[in-house]
Amino acid sequence: MIQLKDLTFSYLKSDGSKVSETPQINNVNLTINAGEFILVCGPTGSGKSTFLKTLNGLAPSFTGGVITGELKINGVDLLGLEPQAFASVVGYVNQQPENAFVGDTVIDEIVYCAEQLGLPIEEIELSVQKISELLEISDLLERPLATLSGGQQQRVAIASALVAGQKILLLDEPTSALDLVGAGEVLRVLRRLCSEEGVTVLLAEHRISRVIAEVDSVLVVHGDGSVTKGPTATQFNDPRFVPPIIELGLKLGWKPLPITTTDAAKKWNETRPGFQAKVISQPAQEVLSVKDLEVSFGSVQALQETSFSLAGNQITALMGENGSGKTSLCWAIQGSGTRTKGTVSTYKGDTKDLNTAERLEVLTMVPQRAADLLFLATLSAELEESDKYAEVPPGSTAKLFQSLAGRIDTSIHPRDLSAGQQLSLVLAIQLVKQAKIVILDEPTRGLDYSAKHALAKQLNSIRSQDRAVLIATHDIEFVAMIADRVLVLEKGKLVSDSSPLEVLGAGKPFASQLAEISQEVGLISIEQVKL
Amino acid sequence: MKLVISRLSIAIAGLGSLLMFAWPLFIAQSSTSETQLAQTVFIVLMPVTLLLILVEFATGDISSKQLALLGVLVALNAVIRLLGAGTAGIETSFFLIILGAYVFGSGFGFILGAGSIFVSALITGGVGPWLPFQMMGAALIGLGAGLIPQINKPWLTKVYLVIYAVIASFAYGALMTLWNWPYLAGTGTQLSYVAGDPLISNLTRFLQYEIVTGGLLWDTGRAITTSVLILVTGSALIATLKRAATRAGVGRSY
Amino acid sequence: MSATTRASHLVSAYKTNPMSWWLAGLSLAIVASLTSNIYVLLFICVGTLSIIKLCRDDSPWAQSIGFYLKLAAIVIALRVAFRIIFNLGSSTKDAFLLLPSIDIDFGFGNALKLFGPISATAFNFALVDGFRLAAIILAVGMANSLANPRKLLKSTPGALYEIATAISIAINLAPQLIASLSRVRRARSLRGQSKGMKAITGIVIPVLEDTIDQSMGLAASMSARGFGRKGSRSKFQIIGARLLAFVAICFMVTGAALLLFSPDQQVLELSFLFIGLLLAVISIKLSSTRGTITRYRKEPWRLGDAIILTASVALMVLAFGGAFAR
Repeated sequence: MIQLKDLTFSYLKSDGSKVSETPQINNVNLTINAGEFILVCGPTGSGKSTFLKTLNGLAPSFTGGVITGELKINGVDLLGLEPQAFASVVGYVNQQPENAFVGDTVIDEIVYCAEQLGLPIEEIELSVQKISELLEISDLLERPLATLSGGQQQRVAIASALVAGQKILLLDEPTSALDLVGAGEVLRVLRRLCSEEGVTVLLAEHRISRVIAEVDSVLVVHGDGSVTKGPTATQFNDPRFVPPIIELGLKLGWKPLPITTTDAAKKWNETRPGFQAKVISQPAQEVLSVKDLEVSFGSVQALQETSFSLAGNQITALMGENGSGKTSLCWAIQGSGTRTKGTVSTYKGDTKDLNTAERLEVLTMVPQRAADLLFLATLSAELEESDKYAEVPPGSTAKLFQSLAGRIDTSIHPRDLSAGQQLSLVLAIQLVKQAKIVILDEPTRGLDYSAKHALAKQLNSIRSQDRAVLIATHDIEFVAMIADRVLVLEKGKLVSDSSPLEVLGAGKPFASQLAEISQEVGLISIEQVKL
Repeated sequence: MKLVISRLSIAIAGLGSLLMFAWPLFIAQSSTSETQLAQTVFIVLMPVTLLLILVEFATGDISSKQLALLGVLVALNAVIRLLGAGTAGIETSFFLIILGAYVFGSGFGFILGAGSIFVSALITGGVGPWLPFQMMGAALIGLGAGLIPQINKPWLTKVYLVIYAVIASFAYGALMTLWNWPYLAGTGTQLSYVAGDPLISNLTRFLQYEIVTGGLLWDTGRAITTSVLILVTGSALIATLKRAATRAGVGRSY
Repeated sequence: MSATTRASHLVSAYKTNPMSWWLAGLSLAIVASLTSNIYVLLFICVGTLSIIKLCRDDSPWAQSIGFYLKLAAIVIALRVAFRIIFNLGSSTKDAFLLLPSIDIDFGFGNALKLFGPISATAFNFALVDGFRLAAIILAVGMANSLANPRKLLKSTPGALYEIATAISIAINLAPQLIASLSRVRRARSLRGQSKGMKAITGIVIPVLEDTIDQSMGLAASMSARGFGRKGSRSKFQIIGARLLAFVAICFMVTGAALLLFSPDQQVLELSFLFIGLLLAVISIKLSSTRGTITRYRKEPWRLGDAIILTASVALMVLAFGGAFAR
């Protein structure tokens, strides 16, 4: 179906010279069969996105660079052609569906591809019906796109990529912006497309725990230019990008590597490894107290009466699905968000009444889109501005940034940094102010496992300074890694305030992979497992 | 060859459109029905001319990147325009048109100008017979800004841009006042245009009309806001737009 | 069902091609612009308002009827007021309104005599002028209220397909951007307030950067779905279209110039303009770039549209013919 022979791709700098000695994709020889469901993974920056883009012409057409070799799709060599030439055989879906929408209603979006390819009207009618049924969106056809949920939007994006009967689908992290429900919907329809329609699916993902059991094979982009493909169990040797289930298998030396929860559970029962109790930091003195907080936007109540307090030396996770009120709560606590009722008291007073300078002393927040805070033209300019504004000795922010992201050439434009590096930059800028309370809204979006570990380390060091951390997230594994306490919001109501073991343990609604595999009480994170 | 013809068409159409604005100053002595005919014809002719120039700029090979960039910048400028609307003399949408045209060229500037006015009118629901004229005015500003020479000295660039901004603000104001002059003052008042009168006397009356209706005040406000915005955001914006230009493969083709 | 309801069902906003509404609005505006008969103007004003009331639906652009009404009223008032204040040429003899006059000197040009005597003819004249402008505004307002702009964009001729796509993208994106601006403004407060000027840059740049990133993603999604496949156009077609457009523009500009500089040659002027228009239409048809696209949701032409089309064209012919005869 897809045959790659000696495929080589290199990025170029603006002056035409190669960015690095080794090509990003180096002499790859692969065959991808029709109807395969393939997971594409690899460490951050290894080139998963780039690899996918070579398969539909976006690389080098949109990314710049040079490509050589053979790229045969159904026997026809399409190497070097514009993406338009691939459009009738390959569909492509990206992370943010709403950024890719051309139309106004669902059906406008779906037919776009068919229109561009000049298909006759009767054919379009039939195709639209068929594809919208497959993707379970038939009842949404006349709805404006802006009114759909994330999962629905992503399914519309998939429909619009396959409406012309394309049999190959490339997806670049389609679920990273979705919550559990949306992600589940997408995976379900992908499985269906593959098994019922014989569509070849290549799915690049960071969050691979739930996916690895579903796929037929795994394609690993190694970062040194090589790309390997094989059955799932044999492809995971690099712990940098693996999900907990694989990390566990690697750590305990299980062979063959179990990839489904059932297999792993069986293996666990056979070997019964030991584990330590989860270390939970005890709260120091109280730094924030929320009483009867309520947030309403017009007639919509985002947050019902909520009360809780935060103490130093603790990392508190705020969990809940999209729309449960996490972001509204964070902003209300920060003080500049809408607050309909209630108080948020700190040692300097209610956050609503603080002026900017006082507020920055007490708490600091990193919003969902960290890049919103960046507005200067170079990394060094941002670091200097941060030092100046926070009135700290010059270089403090740079030092902090380096500890998070490593050495990076400071003349780079902040927007050219990766998602993880941008988050590190914003974190450095916000943390250099040494505020007592640190709030993070969905920081793990777009981060791979190694970046998440780096973030966890940073949060631990903050905690050890008797400061409080509140992190709103629906990333279960991350919470299992670092949280001392978990608050759960459901439709604006605080339904639980307990230790992570209560919320992430086996059988609980947010059960972590470790808990599901081991079914042991008190075990939720791989760090606890003893060799 | 095709380019030369295109540019000629644009030049003639552009000059023609100026005629459609300034006709009260030039119209020869004639009956009232003749002037009514002229006014009517221009209601139709202006949008047609606008469309024809748009076609000259837009046919051919626009890549998806250029198109998408154009679309999003039009949206952004339309929204920015709405932010300033309602406050007398605060015209927030010209600085982006001028800066965008400066980086991307006259064609982009023309479409950006016309498009932002159009989209913001659609959003606010304020579509009226003035719209094609406003669109053409803003489009001409974009067209002109794309002709400002690109030089390597940042401070001199800003000087050029501010000078252009001031001229453009007053020119736009003059054009729009010229449009509403025959409608609001008609004929037979001391401030009306008189068909057949020498240019000087009509111009004098026009200036008095501008002063009386406060047009000059609006224009000054517009010139000040646009210049300030260019001075404040200019370097950062131009840097960002230049990066976008490289990514999108858009340049000064016109 | 009453006759009016049946008629409105035939042409309700839902079921009529947006182009028809614009043709109707245009023809009414032309009639209004060419007439001096106050009854015709009144009829048009009232007529357009009733048509809006009868035929509109719930869409957002159909809700501006209040705005247009107010604007029409203001325009009439302004026109009359202007005439009263700056009137020229009425003597105290035939004055029907006698106000004390005030002298103002600008220092250049003629000194002005404000107010003063106003004859009934002058007043009438101004009133008719006012209603004329009001009628034009309402005719355009009618077209705007009843024509779905998105559907209109979908029906544009091929040569304008790219521009129409850019405009649709803009229309879809604008609400998101408003949200984006407020999101960035809020986020800035997290970093601390940079004073004054930096604040503007701090808001515009992140939004602009996001917008540009978004456009690249959008472009990729469009190309990956086949946008930009080159249709086949012969060299002849390409250059021919441009030449034709050039000639069309020349005709139109000449016609306009004739209109202004050599009056009483109406036949010549109008024929130049007409030829120019015709050539323009042909050149646009020739310029159609993407012959390879299907227009799936093109708005059809129905019976109601045909009726409106004929009526509009007839009106326009009558109006211009009438202008001739004078």
